Amino acid sequence: MALASPIIAEPKHDKLRQLGIVALNGMYDEMDAEGVLKQAVEDLLPGSIALVSSFGADSAVLLHLVSKVDPGLPVYFLETGKHFPQTLAYVETLKAHLGLSNVIALHPDADIRRFDPDGTLWETDPDSCCYLRKTEPLEGVLDGYGGWVTGRKRFQTAERGVLPHFELTSDDRIKVNPLAYFTHEDIEAYKAKHGLPQHPLYEAGYKSIGCAPCTSAVAEGEDPRAGRWRGRDKRECGIHFDFNGSIARPVSQASLTLFKDGAVRTDPWKAWTEDDTAEEARYTHVPLAVFRDYRDVFLASPHPIGLRVDPGDRVEDVAEDLDRFSSIAINFPAFTDGRGYSSARLLRERFGYAGELRGVGDVLTDQIPFMRRCGIDALVVTNAATRKALESNALAEVAHYYQPVGARREVPAGTRPFLRRPEPRVTASARSDT
Amino acid sequence: MYRYDEFDAAFVGERVTQFSDQVRRRIAGELTEEQFRPLRLMNGLYLQLHAYMLRIAVPYGTLSARQMRMLAHVARTYDRGYGHFTTRQNIQFNWPKLRDVPAILSDLASVEMHSIQTSGNCVRNVTVDQFAGAAADEIIDPRPVAEIIRQWSSLHPEFIYLPRKFKIAMTGSPNDRAAVKFHDIGLMAQTNREGAVGWAVYVGGGLGRTPMVGKLINGFVAHEHLLAYLESILRVYNRYGRRDNKFKARIKILVHEEGLENFKGQVEQEFAEIRGGVLTLPLEELDRIEAYFAEPDYADHGVVAIDVEREKILDPAFGRFLENNTFPHKRAGYSAVTISLKPIGGAPGDATAEQMEAVADLAERYSFDELRVSHEQNLVLPHVALTDLRAVYDGLAAAGLADANAGEITDMITCPGLDYCALANARSIPIAQDISRRFAAPERAREIGKLKIKISGCINACGHHHVGHIGILGVEKKGTELYQITVGGDGSEDAAVGKILGPGFVADEVPNAIERLVDAYIAERSDPGETFIAAYRRLGDAPFKEALYGNG
Amino acid sequence: MKILTGNELLSGAAVYLDARGNWREALQEARVFGKDEAEALEAAIAATHATGRVISIESEDVQMTEAGIHPLRIRERIRAQGPTAPRFFDRQTLAEDEYVSI
Repeated sequence: MALASPIIAEPKHDKLRQLGIVALNGMYDEMDAEGVLKQAVEDLLPGSIALVSSFGADSAVLLHLVSKVDPGLPVYFLETGKHFPQTLAYVETLKAHLGLSNVIALHPDADIRRFDPDGTLWETDPDSCCYLRKTEPLEGVLDGYGGWVTGRKRFQTAERGVLPHFELTSDDRIKVNPLAYFTHEDIEAYKAKHGLPQHPLYEAGYKSIGCAPCTSAVAEGEDPRAGRWRGRDKRECGIHFDFNGSIARPVSQASLTLFKDGAVRTDPWKAWTEDDTAEEARYTHVPLAVFRDYRDVFLASPHPIGLRVDPGDRVEDVAEDLDRFSSIAINFPAFTDGRGYSSARLLRERFGYAGELRGVGDVLTDQIPFMRRCGIDALVVTNAATRKALESNALAEVAHYYQPVGARREVPAGTRPFLRRPEPRVTASARSDT
Repeated sequence: MYRYDEFDAAFVGERVTQFSDQVRRRIAGELTEEQFRPLRLMNGLYLQLHAYMLRIAVPYGTLSARQMRMLAHVARTYDRGYGHFTTRQNIQFNWPKLRDVPAILSDLASVEMHSIQTSGNCVRNVTVDQFAGAAADEIIDPRPVAEIIRQWSSLHPEFIYLPRKFKIAMTGSPNDRAAVKFHDIGLMAQTNREGAVGWAVYVGGGLGRTPMVGKLINGFVAHEHLLAYLESILRVYNRYGRRDNKFKARIKILVHEEGLENFKGQVEQEFAEIRGGVLTLPLEELDRIEAYFAEPDYADHGVVAIDVEREKILDPAFGRFLENNTFPHKRAGYSAVTISLKPIGGAPGDATAEQMEAVADLAERYSFDELRVSHEQNLVLPHVALTDLRAVYDGLAAAGLADANAGEITDMITCPGLDYCALANARSIPIAQDISRRFAAPERAREIGKLKIKISGCINACGHHHVGHIGILGVEKKGTELYQITVGGDGSEDAAVGKILGPGFVADEVPNAIERLVDAYIAERSDPGETFIAAYRRLGDAPFKEALYGNG
Repeated sequence: MKILTGNELLSGAAVYLDARGNWREALQEARVFGKDEAEALEAAIAATHATGRVISIESEDVQMTEAGIHPLRIRERIRAQGPTAPRFFDRQTLAEDEYVSI
């Protein structure tokens, strides 16, 4: 291939090289995954390309392509120590079935014991857990390669919607995505056609499989990756997060804006913008009026979506569809506007909404106790003082309540408000309701 | 009267701690004024012209001697030795320093008092008839239900940021002495066909820029459903009340713009959802609270009537006191005594620390340890045996509190006006002082009879000028204070808003203008028994307009 | 002509900005800003705001008379003098640690 050598020979930031990538991306048919891989392994980066595989539910397709192009290609497997035993068994199954001769397990640095002495880091800080177990071990290895092959697909999550076959990373290496255009159905069809062994957990409802603690089964029709880090407000493992190609660093403090379950964390959700569409939206809080206008489209979409309730919105109007929302954001554009408190109570108490109910907007620390009592269990916090007060559970709160409201069951169910007993003293761990 | 249980005490204590922390954060610079302002307002701490003002709730106007003594202590220790009683049955201190406020609140908490929700856009102190539990004409003592409403509305998480402030008033008597039709919600005790007592609910009344008489939204709500009904009204108001314009944010505007029927439909729909739910008031609970308000141990002193005419001859001043300042009690042999805070030439509603202590002593000795604050800015000893009236009078006289002008022309409601208030446009107190001096002579006041003058220093109408038989509203025009006079207002069950009859007067002319109105009334009344307001209703504007402006 | 006035945070007392950048109790010590001193006025407001110690800051229109600074609004004259009617005519006074400077 004429284009091959200049691409490798030219130094960084060469316009020509970028143009070369554009040209490469135009050379292959959308579904010609084998052609893409062959180009990369044989012409673009001979001897300087590797693959990282999770040996998850649909890893078999890419590994099958590798076995056809070069069974000796280095295939790195991140042995995080947190995998399902079924995954470890599947590594052996595929190695044997496909004849892969160069599968290399990468273990975390011995230092892991210092950062995660009892193995529960995934619970308190999943981002750091991913960093220590995946990003760091990979970094050292991939430095030795001019590029690598990934199994990423466009359909998977919002950030991947524009994925090309070839990408130039910011540190001037090449990422190759042979399956970029494959849909979920294409993957299934390929597996069936070639009789590839299934991951043992696939039939149990696990469609996207990572480390055991952070993976759960997904329901029929749900986004396949919804099972990853479910309820933990994290969607992408660190090694994929920056889709421009560089390996992402651990998340900076500034991006930790969501306070939930007793800690601040990164917020996987985003606000609806003019550029969003009902068909494509995912992990987006859709304004109530927009949802009503495109109700059928949203209901048909397989992606997780949320709802944004502004002051003046009538939550009654979406009462039938509340099951559809993974998160509802009550907007408080001004702290003096108390309409959101009524919306929250109606959602929780009248319409039985049980999912995440977050307060966003102009929130003073002194209002948080009221919000919690009305059923709000997550807060988007940008104010440093507020965040500190929340983290240290140092809100000056009046903890005696005269009114039965919200989901905190301040007064035991079925008793009267005027029996006025204080909320039973709760333990620190049980107090993580917000 | 109601006594805090451990729960109430803990609640108020936590609130004091919370606010003390907010004050500390403000002084330390952790909170900006913009952040602190709504927090201090939620605790009744305003900034006035010359200093802060702290407003303390007197729930449903009921005080014990111990509580009154604590108010005296606060006045003496942290303020300038006096306090100002308001039309909302609150007391205001005009000179506290910010760092003393936590200590004041802590002292108050020790006698079961607080400043929670005495300002801010939330449900304010519930006010009731000052003779509740004593009046001969009442169907029911409204205070147990008022206490239950106080509890329900205290730090109610849904209704802390309403579009605007929200005031509830109650009367247990068909003769309304609490101006219930001029409140956001007015509750009037009612007996239904089965003989059960419940509440007629009025909504959307108010004074201020747009005075409106409350409208009957429900003729009878039983005790057990009252909280659910109130919550329904509050929820509709919280969701749909206007927030785009401060002057249109009160519930009266919502009721007016939606129309009573529409508004009622929304409330009833909400009520249908929550009726019978967790807010249902068990009657045992009402009984439990009522026990706190049990009648005192009245004694039979063998005297069931006083010959006022005879006393008038023996001691005209005492006779006049009996005539004006006593109110028929439901128990034979007792009377409710009004302590006028309207001395001639004084500031209406003010009491010194020494006076508060004297009143506390009298309450302890002669009124079963009970005191009331009236919405007309007076104090009341609710249960005085007829045989003790002379001793009470003498005690009041010694404290300079024996003014026998209750209900007369000099018993005026007056807001603090521009002498203190940051919102006022004109002064009120000097006007009241001038008028009271003009009508100081007891014979003259007696000739005039029952006449209510009410004075406000701005359109917000804290002095209730709209419902004065004669109302006075101070405005500023080109750098001078001008006073508009209205006639025909009435805050009672025959609610009416007064009418402006013509241009305003400068301060010096106000007493003369009032005197001309009074003279016109005396000249035109059918007999000495026809009151000013009755004569106005019969005669219309014309004679009064002519009295004010001549017939040109 | 304008003066700058506000209320001191701790006492709530009415105070006036003087020519040396101190917030004083006496109206007559106030710095009078001419029409061409709008920028200085804005700068003084900003500097005061930054201290967080004076609240309800307002610029008030005044006239110079033989008796000195004369605010045009009645409200300001009453603020400067104290209540005109009832018990106490004194204004709120500042304690030693309640003086603010910019």
